[in-house]
Amino acid sequence: MSASTVALLILLFPAAGAILLAGRGWRLPRIVTVIVGPAVVWGSFVATLVLFSNKASGDFTYWTWIKSGSFEVPFNLLVDNLSIFMCLVITGVGGLIVTYAVGYMEKEDDPSYARFFTYMDVFVFSMLLLVLAGNFIFLIIGWALVGLSSYFLIGFWYHRRSAVLAARKAFVMNVIGDVGMILGTFVLFVTFHATTYKGVFLGIHGDTTSLELAAFLLLVGAVAKSAQIPLHTWLPDAMEGPTPVSALIHAATMVTAGVYLVGRMHPIYDLAVYAHGAVAIVGAVTALFAATIAIVQTDIKRVLAYSTMSQIGYMFLAVGIGAYTAGFFHLLSHAFFKALLFMAAGNVIHAMHDEQDMRKYGGLLTQLPRTSWSFLIGSLSLVGVIPFVGFFSKEQILGSAFSKPDASLALAVWVFGFVTALVTGFYTGRMWWMSFAGKPSPQRPVEHPHEAPPVMLVPVLILAVLATIGGFIQTRALGFGPHLVDDFLQAAAGKQSWEGGASEVIATLVTMIVATVLFIAAYRIYIQHAWKPWSAVVPWAQRLLERKYYFDEIYDAVFVRTMDGLARVGLRNVELPIIDGVVEGTGVFAEGAAHNLSLTQSGYFRNYVLVFVAGAVVVAFLLLARVGS
Amino acid sequence: MSGFSAGGSQLDTSWFLLLAAVLFILGTIGVLVRRNPLVILICIELMLNAANLTLVAFSRQLQNYEGQLFALMSMTVAAAEAVVGLAILVDIFRHRDAEDIDDLSELKG
Amino acid sequence: MVALSVLFLLLSAQFVFVAQVIVYAGAVMVLFLFVIALMGPAKEIGRSRLRFQTSLSALFVLALFGLLWAMLQGVQYRQPEQTDLNAFGTVQWIGVYLFTNYLYPFELTSILLLVAAIGAIYLSRKEGDER
Repeated sequence: MSASTVALLILLFPAAGAILLAGRGWRLPRIVTVIVGPAVVWGSFVATLVLFSNKASGDFTYWTWIKSGSFEVPFNLLVDNLSIFMCLVITGVGGLIVTYAVGYMEKEDDPSYARFFTYMDVFVFSMLLLVLAGNFIFLIIGWALVGLSSYFLIGFWYHRRSAVLAARKAFVMNVIGDVGMILGTFVLFVTFHATTYKGVFLGIHGDTTSLELAAFLLLVGAVAKSAQIPLHTWLPDAMEGPTPVSALIHAATMVTAGVYLVGRMHPIYDLAVYAHGAVAIVGAVTALFAATIAIVQTDIKRVLAYSTMSQIGYMFLAVGIGAYTAGFFHLLSHAFFKALLFMAAGNVIHAMHDEQDMRKYGGLLTQLPRTSWSFLIGSLSLVGVIPFVGFFSKEQILGSAFSKPDASLALAVWVFGFVTALVTGFYTGRMWWMSFAGKPSPQRPVEHPHEAPPVMLVPVLILAVLATIGGFIQTRALGFGPHLVDDFLQAAAGKQSWEGGASEVIATLVTMIVATVLFIAAYRIYIQHAWKPWSAVVPWAQRLLERKYYFDEIYDAVFVRTMDGLARVGLRNVELPIIDGVVEGTGVFAEGAAHNLSLTQSGYFRNYVLVFVAGAVVVAFLLLARVGS
Repeated sequence: MSGFSAGGSQLDTSWFLLLAAVLFILGTIGVLVRRNPLVILICIELMLNAANLTLVAFSRQLQNYEGQLFALMSMTVAAAEAVVGLAILVDIFRHRDAEDIDDLSELKG
Repeated sequence: MVALSVLFLLLSAQFVFVAQVIVYAGAVMVLFLFVIALMGPAKEIGRSRLRFQTSLSALFVLALFGLLWAMLQGVQYRQPEQTDLNAFGTVQWIGVYLFTNYLYPFELTSILLLVAAIGAIYLSRKEGDER
């Protein structure tokens, strides 16, 4: 089977699954959904492995969708190391999560159950389309479909008003990003007269103005999709969706689309230095910003959401300074440990009967040992502790930033990254200690929670193992050892142009140690109550963080109320008088005309005869005029 | 009256046509102005007769049979119409006082 | 009616003259007389309800008369075809055409008369009459 067919199969499996489940799934017995839902994702995974093992690559065009003058859009898939890498992450981690969801969602009734997996399969399909697309148009199609699936899945429990609002918010912000993407594509098309990646990249030369513009516009899309500042407010709200959704979409895959975009477009970003710098700045600022907010969250999923925002900031930071492979390595490791964290959190939530407030947990270590230890592995990975994968990926990024020879920007973002790592240690520690250590909280909903069933536990354990050993495929952070990811992605995603030296290694180790210290410090504060929590020391800071730096309030006042006001004005001045007026007016006019015309039906015989005679006069006149002329 | 005196005797066709026109006009006035249904019917007959006169006059003028034939047909139709009209009138008169045709205006609106 | 029939005679339309006397003067007018006898003489009480009827009708009628008058001016009569002037207007003459060229209208007219007769009978039956 040729590579092009296999590549198409990667897409077809989840599409077929979605169609089957959408059409018939809710009428068939549940076992069908249980099998089909995850199986198609695993099928794609196998197909991707085939391509991976064959070291396949190529730009496969299947058919031409639009051809209008010089605007030509083929349906082509670009299979190279970068897309295979992304597909492995999406299908591999996605497969684990969808399998996990089989158990997590079992309380749903049959139609909803099938609906959930339909949406998940649609999402997987869209994400795969996004990363496999070989031209901008299909990239945007995948981009938009991913946003749509996210909307469906966040609002899955549509009876809940908060879920519906959150879904709407996510969708609106994603659309803002979509507009940026589309405009960016327009700029690129106008400049290069091509829509395929090959066409555009081959045409790049020195003129940077249009490239800068396009890069900034594409960045808008990336920022929206990856929930970076300023288009980030939707991600915490998106936690209204079921936990597998949070794991898959808002940790491992969809939110990484922005990173993928910058990586894929690296020929553009390498030349568009201002936009490139903007990427790094956005990433660094978001990383720190989100980490600080995570300190005060009480809902376990929100902590993880802000943590995701922060880690993606790291990835943006990496690709923004040109360390593409480091960014993608962190993408991989983040997929591992964040999915692990979300799913383990899901186990906890499940065991605690849907309670998500960490203050009501406490002391779960002895009662849910396997989940607790997995969660710990994930947390340490997040903090960046040897030997877990998070250490290697995060510290590689920080190392690259620390030692990049030619830019002061890189040093500035390193400072951000460094501080963020410390804050990460703190909030992660707080999260773990509050939930799993100490005494059980008196407000616990369940006295004796029991562990999750195997279908939910096994994926968690698998990811825990991956998080533990995964780092060893690339240990550049330590200055020696294998660098498989770098090698794999080099051709597609750009070279690392400098090597790590001793100073970077020292910097990384220092980061790790200080972060760990803070991790333990959280224990002292929250469990042993040895020191006062900082909320008592600086209450104004606590409030600022709890209100998430007032972003939501500002957006509401500036954008939402304005649009609302405009809509109201439109309703009063345009819709009602003009449009309704025309429509209703036609009816009223017809009625009035009919009424007036009916007055001619007087019922009087003599009137009618008069009309006859008048007609006869007219005819006679016409005849006479005819004859005369 | 230029069309009438050009070398003609009293039997000029123009006179007959003029008479027919006058009769027709009188009939029309009657239909328009009078309010008694019976009178209206009689005036209608008058109009029909005027038309017949025109027809026969032209028949003689043009020396062909069609005018007279048609006048015959017209007469027949007029008779039938008078019969039915009067029958309706009598029927109405049985139920109400048919003095004024303006009373019979139920088809209003 | 009688005067009109005489006028027809003047126009060499013998058969039409006779038909006019029999049908119109004889049948239709008698019918009218009977109905007048039934209904009483024509009275028009009260003011007319249609205010502009008289004035408007005067206007239109005058217009019509004027037009008819104008039509009669300068009429060019065309040359007739040659016919047998002795037989013109006689019964035989009309009869020939009635039963050959115009047979179809003739038959239709007789059906029309039949229908009118049935209609008149139906309309003038008394109420409650089953026949």
